[in-house]
Amino acid sequence: MAQRTVAVASASGLHARPAKLFVQAAVRTGVPVTIRAGERSAPARSMLGVLSLGVVRGTEVTLEADGPGAEEALDTLAALLARDLDADEALDA
Amino acid sequence: MRDGLLDPRAVLLHESAADRAAAIRRCGRALADVGAVAEPYVEAMLERERSISTYVGEGVAIPHGTNASKDDVLRDAICVVRFPAGVDWDGEHVTLCVGIAAKNDGHVPLLAALAEILLDPERARALREATKVSQVMKELTV
Repeated sequence: MAQRTVAVASASGLHARPAKLFVQAAVRTGVPVTIRAGERSAPARSMLGVLSLGVVRGTEVTLEADGPGAEEALDTLAALLARDLDADEALDA
Repeated sequence: MRDGLLDPRAVLLHESAADRAAAIRRCGRALADVGAVAEPYVEAMLERERSISTYVGEGVAIPHGTNASKDDVLRDAICVVRFPAGVDWDGEHVTLCVGIAAKNDGHVPLLAALAEILLDPERARALREATKVSQVMKELTV
């Protein structure tokens, strides 16, 4: 089981917009990834699952995956969570 | 879900909207009507939606403003607006919008509670098909 633990950097935590970017990235990896926050966990590709974790900025979450591509997928997703995705907002406009 | 976030006057169960933008404007107006947001917030909701869809699954979208529009939030609040005929939401079929106005992290637990409800198919259906304000209040405030 590959694992990465990372503190969520987005100013607003893992809510609608950062959560959506994360879920889209998780789907793109093609690897089933689980995201865990405290005692709760959810499939990384489920928007509702990720939202239900209620992650605020600075919360440590653990990403887990198995099998081929797991390490690369977790690296990609952990790097995304370590970025302030709200700060990128102006760049999208 | 926190008390006072949902004003029964911000629960609208028989709305219709020609498109996604109209649905978002309806949500924005509902939030403005209960004094939760200033008028410019509605445009910020449209801007946010153009940046990324607020569709979350289960026929539900959660339109809200950009981070830059937080000054137009007068108090944390949500509205529940139902579109029985549905609205095309960038290819998804939306029948329920939960519009959100939140200043700080106040809305993260709120979203988590909403997501929790929607992950339960029975409660999600009850919410989507609610025809009485009291049903919605019961689902979202207990």
